[in-house]
Amino acid sequence: MSGLLVQMLEGTVTSLKVFFLTLLFSLPLGFVVAKGKMTRVTIIRWITDLYIQIMRGTPLILQLIFVYFAPFYVFGVSYDRFTACIIAFVLNYSAYFAEIYRSGLQAIDQGQYEAAKVLGFTKAYTFFHIVLPQVIKNIFPSLGNEVINLVKDTALAQTIGVAELFRVAQTSASRQFSTFPIFVAGIFYFIMNYIVSRAFAIGEKKMNYYR
Amino acid sequence: MGKMIELENLSKSFGELEVLKSISVSLEEGNVLSIIGPSGSGKSTMLRIITQLEKADDGTLTIDGSTLFESIDGKARYVDLVEQRNILLKTGLVFQQFNLFPHFSVLRNITEAQMAVLKRPREEAEEIAMSLLKKMDLADRARSYPFQLSGGQKQRVSIARALALNPKVLFFDEPTSALDPELTREILKVIRELAEEKMTMVVVTHEMNFAKATSDYAIFMDGGVIVEEGEPNELFGNPKMERTKKFIRSFSE
Repeated sequence: MSGLLVQMLEGTVTSLKVFFLTLLFSLPLGFVVAKGKMTRVTIIRWITDLYIQIMRGTPLILQLIFVYFAPFYVFGVSYDRFTACIIAFVLNYSAYFAEIYRSGLQAIDQGQYEAAKVLGFTKAYTFFHIVLPQVIKNIFPSLGNEVINLVKDTALAQTIGVAELFRVAQTSASRQFSTFPIFVAGIFYFIMNYIVSRAFAIGEKKMNYYR
Repeated sequence: MGKMIELENLSKSFGELEVLKSISVSLEEGNVLSIIGPSGSGKSTMLRIITQLEKADDGTLTIDGSTLFESIDGKARYVDLVEQRNILLKTGLVFQQFNLFPHFSVLRNITEAQMAVLKRPREEAEEIAMSLLKKMDLADRARSYPFQLSGGQKQRVSIARALALNPKVLFFDEPTSALDPELTREILKVIRELAEEKMTMVVVTHEMNFAKATSDYAIFMDGGVIVEEGEPNELFGNPKMERTKKFIRSFSE
């Protein structure tokens, strides 16, 4: 029993690594993608749109396999599966975050930009102090949804052999001829997402001081 | 008293649509100019060009002795960005929709630009903000957020926000159009008080009585041209042009 728990904690650490690394890269990258989709330069907008369509229109499980195996078939090189897993997750989640950011940016009233301009704020100051705080408040609930999805999606990393929580649970389940480890994994995911949703609820409440 | 605004032959089109057709306006320091006219007449666009929210196509504009753009070969040639910004700081604009920053308190709405743009220390910025709020009769709302205020209160905060940067000339783009009559009166009172203090102002408005009583000069615009201009008593009391008569009559009904 304690052996199982240790294994599952190790798997959880891997899952959390996937989770945090994906957020670390895709949260900022999503902004770049959102900007790309909102640009006036047609070719950039077209490419970003295609990228988003592909990322949202195909299964993440397929993208994982593609990112891991494509370099091998095309260039004959193989690389670390964990790296491949992070790349696939970041590519996928950047597309989803981009769409969330875009909706948040478009909800900002043009008058906010105009007032900021007339008062003499620089573009950078306007973005970071006037626009961004309001965007974050606007998108916070949808962002929370997506982050909860990410916690569960980390289970897909096993597709290319990353020993995350769910794979560890499955392995010991088949070794013990018991579904018990799977249920334990379920509790682990539930706890992680409980923490995530509480954190987002607190954040939402904190930003509730204005409308 | 020198000239605060000298605008000559301003033209502006949006695509095919000619919004301003060679408009010329001048305003003395310490005076109040009212601009009236139906919507789509180009009055807001003119204000937005002077406050640099839009670019002019052609014309020459000098504000407080500094030229923002000059007509060269039929095109408005702007001065460099640094100078544009210096001139921007001579102007203030009050919007119809207030455009307060919802995530800042009333006080911070007024201090933010003072600190970030004019680099005033916080204590000084807050002192200035508080004295402006007192003047606007809103000292007790300094810690409130915009959503907690009435439309009239929001507009007074936005006037305070503009005044805090000590503009040489203040523009009002239909400042009462989003307000009901009672709140309109409270804003007009503030503008009247500013006029008494010899603040140079340009007011785009549909409040004919206010324009008549408060301004030193009035302009009636329609279809991108100045149809008629003159002393407010003349323009409102004894308009010469048929279009002006019709417009003013439509408001007294």
